[in-house]
Amino acid sequence: MRLILEVWRQEGPDAEGGFETHEILDATPEMSLLELLDRLNHQLVENDQEPVAFESDCREGICGTCGLDVNGVPHGPEDNVPACGQHVRSFQDGQTVRFTPFRARSFPVIRDLIVDRTGLDRIIQAGGTIAVDAGTAPDADTLLVTHDDAERALDFAACIGCGACVSACPNGAAYLFTGAKLAHLALIPHGKEERAKRARSMIAQMQHEFGPCSQIGECVLACPAEIPIVALAVVNRERLRAGFMWGKAN
Amino acid sequence: MSSGIQERSDIDQIPVAKRPATSPPPRPQTWVLKLIMAVTGSIFVLFLLFHLAGNLKVYLPDDPQGHFNEYAHWLRSFLSPLLPGSTFLWIFRGCLGAALLLHVYSGVTLWIRAHRLRGRHARKVNPTKHHLTGRTMLWSGLIILAFIIFHLLDLTLGRVVASKDFTGGSTYKLENGEVTVDAYANLVHSFQRPSVAIFYVVVMVVIAFHLSHGIWSITNDFGATAHRTRSVLLILADLIALVIVVGNASIPLAVLGGVITL
Repeated sequence: MRLILEVWRQEGPDAEGGFETHEILDATPEMSLLELLDRLNHQLVENDQEPVAFESDCREGICGTCGLDVNGVPHGPEDNVPACGQHVRSFQDGQTVRFTPFRARSFPVIRDLIVDRTGLDRIIQAGGTIAVDAGTAPDADTLLVTHDDAERALDFAACIGCGACVSACPNGAAYLFTGAKLAHLALIPHGKEERAKRARSMIAQMQHEFGPCSQIGECVLACPAEIPIVALAVVNRERLRAGFMWGKAN
Repeated sequence: MSSGIQERSDIDQIPVAKRPATSPPPRPQTWVLKLIMAVTGSIFVLFLLFHLAGNLKVYLPDDPQGHFNEYAHWLRSFLSPLLPGSTFLWIFRGCLGAALLLHVYSGVTLWIRAHRLRGRHARKVNPTKHHLTGRTMLWSGLIILAFIIFHLLDLTLGRVVASKDFTGGSTYKLENGEVTVDAYANLVHSFQRPSVAIFYVVVMVVIAFHLSHGIWSITNDFGATAHRTRSVLLILADLIALVIVVGNASIPLAVLGGVITL
């Protein structure tokens, strides 16, 4: 397969940046998009050019490291699949494929396709952790969790923090990410002890760097962990609940 | 950093991306603004349904002019004599005006925040319904704001854009002998101008778009997470929008078509 790649190149955070066009003649349908970039880099190095900087790690959809926009869509044309799981077979022979870094003012470009996603880390640092009961694991059945709650908590815990929701959002909002964390921790016994405190601090941090949610639902189409759209309402529910708790922690 | 005193370690060579201007934290907080949008938006949804119920009196088979004007008179003198004259009407108008100011202020502030935080690269536009209605909320909102001014000038104040037959004073005698404003005649005279009637119809469609996404947003902003509640409200959002557009837009069309006459 022949593909034309338009890749965003940017030397550093302060550099201007621009598109570079390359041709790949030996792409195969079963290649992942990251392998396509590997192929491009191989070609660039062979021609004594600087390879394209992009992030990847596990390449099996569990780490959340890979993240880039393909033809203006986070991760690539297929819904709910990370870039490493998207394949060249989504494109036609001879098609132009445009790679850009994740689109959000809160994700400044470090180099080429690599963006700084530490804004999401700061939301987690603000309270996306459990600080109580740090002792040894309790005996089985001392803390009862219903099967439904456990399953739902796991559904929300599936978030890999890749940042596709922020890139997909026309407002640069991180509601899906924050909502997934809040919902996950609010459903399990240890998490409940700091439920209100967590909502206050995480949401304060979120709105510090990210935009407001307009419930358009673009994030849900992009999310490789298939976090449901209800996570958007969870952010508001948890913040309202925390308001009614008047400074209490739980 | 070119002090040259300390040799940089490798870690310092990694470029650090510039963070967006994030401090001081945004005030009022984003979630507070969203809540204000939801509370005032809910007031407007209820007001629109209430307003529609009144409007539909033009379709009453027996003496619509009398019923409509009687209703208009009741609105103006509601809770009288407990509150003298039209005190209640002015409290009601004051509340709606305050809600409107808060709604517009919050909406514009949120739009500016969102606009600042979107990135530089082009996005592929998904032609979904919520994309169409959700991303145009500010624009539909501004059209509705302009319409509110037009509507007040046209049928309440009788200035600038009103029909030349507009009568503001006590020109209609009710069955009980009281004289009041002939709101019905003003409505018919206004809608007999085709351009105005079409403008009203177009704006009703815009309002339906705004409502359809607005009610869905209210659901989320009030933190409704229960599956059944969300499903019902998602349908209700479109249903209310449809009722408003069909009910209201039919009136200027009926006047144009000669179904409603003096």
